[in-house]
Amino acid sequence: MRRIVTLLLAMLLVGCASPATSKKTLRYGLTLAPSGLDPHINASSELTIPLGSVYDTLVFQDPDSGEFVPGLASAWEISPDGREYTFHLREGVLFHDGTPFNANAVRANLQRVLDPQNLSQKAASMLGPLESVEVVDDLTVRLRLSRPFAPLLDSLSQVYLGMASPAALAEWGAADYQFHQVGTGPYRFIEYVPNDHLTLEANAAYDWSPPVYQYSHPYFDEVTFRFFEDAATRALALESREVDVIGEVPPHDAERLAATGEFALQAVPIPGQPLQLLFNTLRAPTDDVRVRNALLLSVDRPRIVETVFGAHSAVAEGLLSASTPGANLILPADAYDPAQAAALLEDAGWEVGAEGRRSLQGEPLALTLIVPPWGSNPEVAQLLSAAWTQLGAKVDLQVAPGFGPLKEAQSGGEYNLIGVNLFGSDPDLLRPFFASDGLYNWTGWTDPGLDALLIAGAESVAPRPERLALYAQVAERVAAQSLVLPVRDYTNLVVHRRGLTDLRFSPQGWNPYLIDLRPAP
Amino acid sequence: MESLPDRSAPGPVASIGRRIGEGGLTAFVAVSLTFFALRLGGGDPADSLMAQSLVTPEQLTALRASLGLDQPLLVQYAAFLAGLLRFDLGVSLYNGRPVVTVIAEQLGPTLQLAAAGLLIAIVFGFALGILAAWSRSRATADGARLVSGLATGLPVALTGILAILFFSFLPDAGMQAARGLFLPAMVLGFASSGAIARVVNSELLRSRTEPYMTAAAARGIHRSPRLLWHALRPALPLVISLCALQAAFLFAGTVVTETVFSRPGIGRLLVSSILQGDYPVAQGLVVLAALIYTLSQVIADLLAVGVDPRLRSGL
Repeated sequence: MRRIVTLLLAMLLVGCASPATSKKTLRYGLTLAPSGLDPHINASSELTIPLGSVYDTLVFQDPDSGEFVPGLASAWEISPDGREYTFHLREGVLFHDGTPFNANAVRANLQRVLDPQNLSQKAASMLGPLESVEVVDDLTVRLRLSRPFAPLLDSLSQVYLGMASPAALAEWGAADYQFHQVGTGPYRFIEYVPNDHLTLEANAAYDWSPPVYQYSHPYFDEVTFRFFEDAATRALALESREVDVIGEVPPHDAERLAATGEFALQAVPIPGQPLQLLFNTLRAPTDDVRVRNALLLSVDRPRIVETVFGAHSAVAEGLLSASTPGANLILPADAYDPAQAAALLEDAGWEVGAEGRRSLQGEPLALTLIVPPWGSNPEVAQLLSAAWTQLGAKVDLQVAPGFGPLKEAQSGGEYNLIGVNLFGSDPDLLRPFFASDGLYNWTGWTDPGLDALLIAGAESVAPRPERLALYAQVAERVAAQSLVLPVRDYTNLVVHRRGLTDLRFSPQGWNPYLIDLRPAP
Repeated sequence: MESLPDRSAPGPVASIGRRIGEGGLTAFVAVSLTFFALRLGGGDPADSLMAQSLVTPEQLTALRASLGLDQPLLVQYAAFLAGLLRFDLGVSLYNGRPVVTVIAEQLGPTLQLAAAGLLIAIVFGFALGILAAWSRSRATADGARLVSGLATGLPVALTGILAILFFSFLPDAGMQAARGLFLPAMVLGFASSGAIARVVNSELLRSRTEPYMTAAAARGIHRSPRLLWHALRPALPLVISLCALQAAFLFAGTVVTETVFSRPGIGRLLVSSILQGDYPVAQGLVVLAALIYTLSQVIADLLAVGVDPRLRSGL
């Protein structure tokens, strides 16, 4: 036994004595050990954090202006009918394995994404109605769509459609490529050990930095990522100097760390839908718009957000987070007004009876809430339940343990409100939620006018402001029916040790521009 | 195990055979229950898989068909059992890799952690149990009992975080090394040591009044050897089967330990595969857990026969 103790101590000491390397290494804490790391196949937001620096995309989106700027494509034209995109590719770009980047590489990548065998969980649907990819010449590629698809550039600017070396794709099958990824980006993919770590190394040959990056070369020679799924241990990982940067730190830990002066807190807004609950319009009592409106008016959302998320989260004011590029879809008439809420319920016939409980013709005002377990949904739902109990409702709150059970509960239809939202930087993500035949039409609402607006938005070839005006009309129609209760704009609380500067993120909010990270002067 | 075997008692070979049979049956029942529980309570895996994707309902139907999820549940179950007989656990829904590979690459770190944890549990457990039973100082004995009570009572999530905080004075490299195996094994081992300490303690207290102890004292054998050999030896079979149980418990304990220390391993794999609805992987891990449980029982029986001659008389 003594030998074992000695051995353990020896291991510890060897660890202490290992020489400091001269390599400039950055250690980044991830909050999820992805079950798959292939950007073309898997869907997690987390995988974009390391892989955003491994791959370049045809275009990039400027995080400040929301405009699309050249990436691996130096220029592009869109046909007037919006169905043909011609990309002129940058010359002299090499993948990390030496393979030249060209039009054939673009075609090989897009074909891989679309191959039904590969079961792409996100990227394939981001390509919308893409029909064919034509290699015009070595450095020109043309994408043909069966219908116009306004979100295409937004899709092509994301890591899920990053350009991978066709040689590496051919060498490794769909299941194994994730361990041998080869892109053209500022960092090379070195090693991925599932649940343990992922290592990137600076790409010395990087010579085609897009305008969204401030620097043309990385400062850190090596970036290692480790996974911290347990929210309670994330602050600890920073304090015990296990990592230099970590995201999704719980609000109270983040504030405490920032207050020590040793760490800096950066609140990064995440575009897409806010934390929200959808009203089921097919089930009483939320089939009555007056009841839905009353429920909206009776919750003090700023106080809920403050209580659950602290000072760093914005109260959601619309169908899309304020940080969603170009989108500012304000929902009118949702200010806190419990008196008005009570009046609406009275008007709908819900009278207060014994113990303050409301009922209509002997039927109690009963609400069923179903929420997913992540993103503090249960805490928010708890506070909503309290507000609605106050209003005289009987509330049954259920937490579904994962997406599968949530979807199953939704299929059963026995809910009045359900929590679900998607992230993304193009307003077309509203379509599955509010189109009659949408996959996420969990409100059960059907409105041909809304359908027409959503399709017009998806297929718009008009300049951006005109396209966005369509979504303002969508927001108005949704607000008129009180279909959704938005709560909080998602904010990723990233904390890093002092001494780092220029930590910037792509418009989707998750993936950092690692090339720009510098030590503070 | 306590009573002397009578004439009809089966020999150890037959008994171990029976144990394997029972274990196989337990494993089969556990695996079957999990199969249905995952599918009936966890929703449709195709939905989870495509949660981030704006697929059409038709694409979703096609996906279900290609994954075989459109088949009746009993047909899927039969296909799963047939695969099991060929040691084929299928492929992960999320990354298309064989389940056997996915589990194998996470198994090493967990085995390493569980083995180190078990060693520490045994060392701590015996030390605390012996101290509590035989210390001449009342304070030491009570202290040992208190520590073993805490070991059982404190959750690994708490002791893990305390350990990280306590050791964060180490230099960076030392912290990395300590977090790798030393701290998680200590935390895990400490949690399991309480149960061992309690059994060692009670067995020692019981044996104090046994005639063979008086005989040993009368033969002039000193206190320490008397304690370590004469008193402890009869307690070993019980302690060994407890250790086997602890080995299974340790395996379960790695789930939390791996998460707190952000260490690779099958515990984290199990949690993520269940939450994401990656049924083939979750299923494979249950098969593995059932195997480990059965194996640890058989090994415990063999060891018990090794240390207790009374159990060999059936030969």
